[in-house]
Amino acid sequence: MHIRCSIVPPHLLTRLAALRDPRLSVASDAARHALLELDPLLQIRAEALGAPVRRGSAVVGTLTRRVYDAGSREELPGNLVRGEGAPATGDAAADEAYDGLGATYRLFSEEYGWSSIDGAGKPLEATVHYGSNYDNAFWDGERMVFGDGDGEIFGRFTASLTVISHELTHGFTQYSSNLEYQGQSGALNESLSDVFGVLVEQRELGQDAADASWLVGAGIFTTAVEGTALRSLKAPGTAYDDDILGRDPQPATMADYVETAADNGGVHINSGIPNHAFYLAATTLGGPAWEGAGRIWFDAVLGGGIPPQCDFRTFAAATNEAAEKRFGTDSREAGAVAEAWVQVGVLP
Amino acid sequence: MRIEITRSGGFGGLTRTWSLEVSRTEAEQRWLPLAEAAADEGAGGAPSDGSAAGGGAGPRGRGPARDRFTYRIAIGYTEVDLPESRLGDPWRELIDRARAAGTDDGAGTGTGTGTGTGTGTGLRDAGPARSSSADPGKPEELL
Repeated sequence: MHIRCSIVPPHLLTRLAALRDPRLSVASDAARHALLELDPLLQIRAEALGAPVRRGSAVVGTLTRRVYDAGSREELPGNLVRGEGAPATGDAAADEAYDGLGATYRLFSEEYGWSSIDGAGKPLEATVHYGSNYDNAFWDGERMVFGDGDGEIFGRFTASLTVISHELTHGFTQYSSNLEYQGQSGALNESLSDVFGVLVEQRELGQDAADASWLVGAGIFTTAVEGTALRSLKAPGTAYDDDILGRDPQPATMADYVETAADNGGVHINSGIPNHAFYLAATTLGGPAWEGAGRIWFDAVLGGGIPPQCDFRTFAAATNEAAEKRFGTDSREAGAVAEAWVQVGVLP
Repeated sequence: MRIEITRSGGFGGLTRTWSLEVSRTEAEQRWLPLAEAAADEGAGGAPSDGSAAGGGAGPRGRGPARDRFTYRIAIGYTEVDLPESRLGDPWRELIDRARAAGTDDGAGTGTGTGTGTGTGTGLRDAGPARSSSADPGKPEELL
């Protein structure tokens, strides 16, 4: 079997190369070979694939999506309107949720070899049209739930892929590090959702780190709001500045860390600091952010060095270790990650 | 008597505050007993909306929910914190009334350093209960 790199995208090669199924060993070997011909970064990745991140049984999961409609009531899950493989419903929110679940699944599966949020192909569920004028999207522990917005400040929450991928990443975190939703560990929980949230969108759009918007929730504000998005990893604190909403409160560095009892200790506020560290590492490295910095963050989450009550410094150390382990102690990846944490003031 | 409702959390992390005036009789007969009962229940109450067991991201973020709203309801000097999943119909009615009253005190980040006024129910910490007398309609400035 011959795989031509000009046709098969690298992420698909990576997926094939990671296969452990003996029936597909020829394709798997060919993909590993093709990866070696691409570039040094991919070479290192191809070698690293020899040591799979996942422990335990190698369950090859499949994508199973279920989208429900709450019919403007606040009851879950609602009525099933689209199952896996079913045709589009014609309802924008339901179809955006369905597509967003697929895009998120593809990032984790094709880049990191992780099937669904639990690594074992758990069905992905979403409920849309939750409540009346409901201006929020959340993860309830089992599924993502989306409101239609109040029409004055927020439009429907599925309009931004980053919102869907953010919520689904809360599921990934629940099944991996299970970071406690309070204070710094809560801010890390939020940051991981923002990081993998934007990575899903960047990968779908084929954007390099330098070209991406690094915005979370772009397009869910109505035109009445002075703001482009809810958060910016590139420039925390600049996503909106509006008469009604106030100003984006996110800090970018520890010097501006916000102590507050609200919002579970500012989990949506101080997430700006690890968010910005990721942005700095990713843009220093350049290229597709999901391959270098994203891979390192993923490795760190599954590497065992992140306890449920993890603080920023412990998390930073875990990413440094993950970068060194995958790319080498003196690699530019390890250097970029270490420098990013210094720049945001988490590490001295 | 003034009732102030502060909603924090949510995907956007935006804090909003609404308030309304009720008669002392209504507050004492209807809302204060409800607040005290809710405080006694602590974080153990069952979610009212069929969401995952343990529902809300309540105090200390227990429970599996993420990005949900948390409500702080201040009735005079009595305060109660309620995750969205534990809001029963009476509280929803009160919140709807406050929002409809049009006395939206604006949104902000809830990051002020106010010491709060929570001396009534002995909840864990009073936190930055926004003083609505401070420039209503404008968000609080950050630290």
